[in-house]
Amino acid sequence: MIQVEHLTKRYGGFTALSDVNFNAEPGEILGFLGPNGAGKTTTMRILTGYMPPSEGTAHVAGFDVLKDSIDVRRHVGYLPETVPLYPDMTVRGYVRYIADLRSVPHAGDRVTEVLKTVGMYERRESLIRSISKGMRQRVGLAQALVHDPEVLILDEPTIGLDPHQTLEVRDLVRDLGKSHTVLFSTHILSEAEQVCDRVIIIDKGQIVAIDAPQTLRDRLQQGGRLFVRVAAQAEPKAVIKKLSGVAAVSSVEPFGDGYTITASAAADIRARLASTIISAGWDLLELRPLAMSLEDIFLELTTSTPQSSKEGKRRA
Amino acid sequence: MPKFLTIFRRELAAYFTSPIAYLVAFAVLLLTGLIFNNDLAQRNGHQSTDGTIVLSWFAFFTLFFAPLITMRLMAEENREGTIELLMTLPVNDSDIVIGKFLGAWAYYTIILAITGIYQVITVWLSPPDVGTIIAAYIGLWLYGGAALAVGILFSAITENQIVAGFLGLAAMLILWLADQVGTIVNNRTLAVLARTFSFQSHYVYSFALGLVRFDDIVFFVGVIAALLFTTTRVVESRRWR
Repeated sequence: MIQVEHLTKRYGGFTALSDVNFNAEPGEILGFLGPNGAGKTTTMRILTGYMPPSEGTAHVAGFDVLKDSIDVRRHVGYLPETVPLYPDMTVRGYVRYIADLRSVPHAGDRVTEVLKTVGMYERRESLIRSISKGMRQRVGLAQALVHDPEVLILDEPTIGLDPHQTLEVRDLVRDLGKSHTVLFSTHILSEAEQVCDRVIIIDKGQIVAIDAPQTLRDRLQQGGRLFVRVAAQAEPKAVIKKLSGVAAVSSVEPFGDGYTITASAAADIRARLASTIISAGWDLLELRPLAMSLEDIFLELTTSTPQSSKEGKRRA
Repeated sequence: MPKFLTIFRRELAAYFTSPIAYLVAFAVLLLTGLIFNNDLAQRNGHQSTDGTIVLSWFAFFTLFFAPLITMRLMAEENREGTIELLMTLPVNDSDIVIGKFLGAWAYYTIILAITGIYQVITVWLSPPDVGTIIAAYIGLWLYGGAALAVGILFSAITENQIVAGFLGLAAMLILWLADQVGTIVNNRTLAVLARTFSFQSHYVYSFALGLVRFDDIVFFVGVIAALLFTTTRVVESRRWR
């Protein structure tokens, strides 16, 4: 549905995107993750036909964004970061206006349908200036959905919403993902983890990782890490010394009121650790694997990658 | 329905949901009404009535209120970010500009049409030269279109409505007063050239006198076309920034 090849975008001397490649399959929810200014919005603007790339090509629904811009726009629903609304229009009037500009057949019925989907049908006659931020976001979504597009591109659809509204929008996106290809950007990692089939992590205009959230976590977690807490009677230095001696342990570091232990290989060292501690006469209070969250992965990938130090002059 | 007509309809409707548009119409009609009343009172019994006096003043007021009508057209979209939506819809950039321009022109036409009440009163008092009045209306309508086209160009280059309004007003004053260049420069060629581009010379010394000349029509239509083309290019240039 979306094919992006060697996409590069320069603004004057500043390179916002460099050599970005990715694909999205039909019915896939693709999360676009990165710090502010990483190039998420730029990529989306290129894919929606708002601006042309400096180099490279992008195809959306089989159309080239440069040569068949109008066809691309016909097949894409787009919700920009600042929800584009006309405060002086009613909810229904606005969605109807967009439907007419998109030449949606039976526009009246379709507008009713889509307002029910996003849960704004009861407020259809309200002026947009008078509705809350969460509702505006939903009206923005209605606008993006009104022509039943094959590809939906949503730029930070949950930004500025309260937790309840955020959940609603996430559920909506997940529902939409069943029948549409969805590309949505966020800088909230747990959101990407919950909603997406695959995650693209982008930083300083370059893709640093593309994979399923689960796979990403697994990949960065070879060599398990464990957290161990022993009762206070044990001398920390002695504990570190003792545990470092256990086979396959590569490092022991104090962490909070316990220790983090890194195993050198994928070996399961839990039983050995436990028996070592007990036989030393200490009380074992806690022993658990440390799961790496997407948060850690994200920080690890976006702070000290070789590209980022080389391209350090770029906008953060 | 063609896309520019959808945009036209929305823009025209937007004028009637905003208080500024009513205020502009109110101010223009109040001022022309006072002038009309004053003119009638002065002529009372001494001179025959002249329906074009109030229209000449309307042409002058257009200088000031045309930028007020057009300043929000593109600047508001630029500021609110709605331009990003319009430019990612399957709509040509020229449809956006033409639709908005026609919306403004239709609103202007409505205000202009309301001044017809003065003509009805004039005709009822003592029949004037109706041909002159019709010519003046044709000229005023075309000149108004050109003034709005100036305004929409300045609206497209900024995100700030006030800046758009002031630049439009400044440009209109220059275009209106350009034929005065001949009184201050001692260079006939330059004066003639400046006068060629003056809105005033193409209206006050032709349509307002009852002359409907082909070259004046071509001038205003050409100005409208050229300015709308430029505005479309300005809107398009957002894609390359």
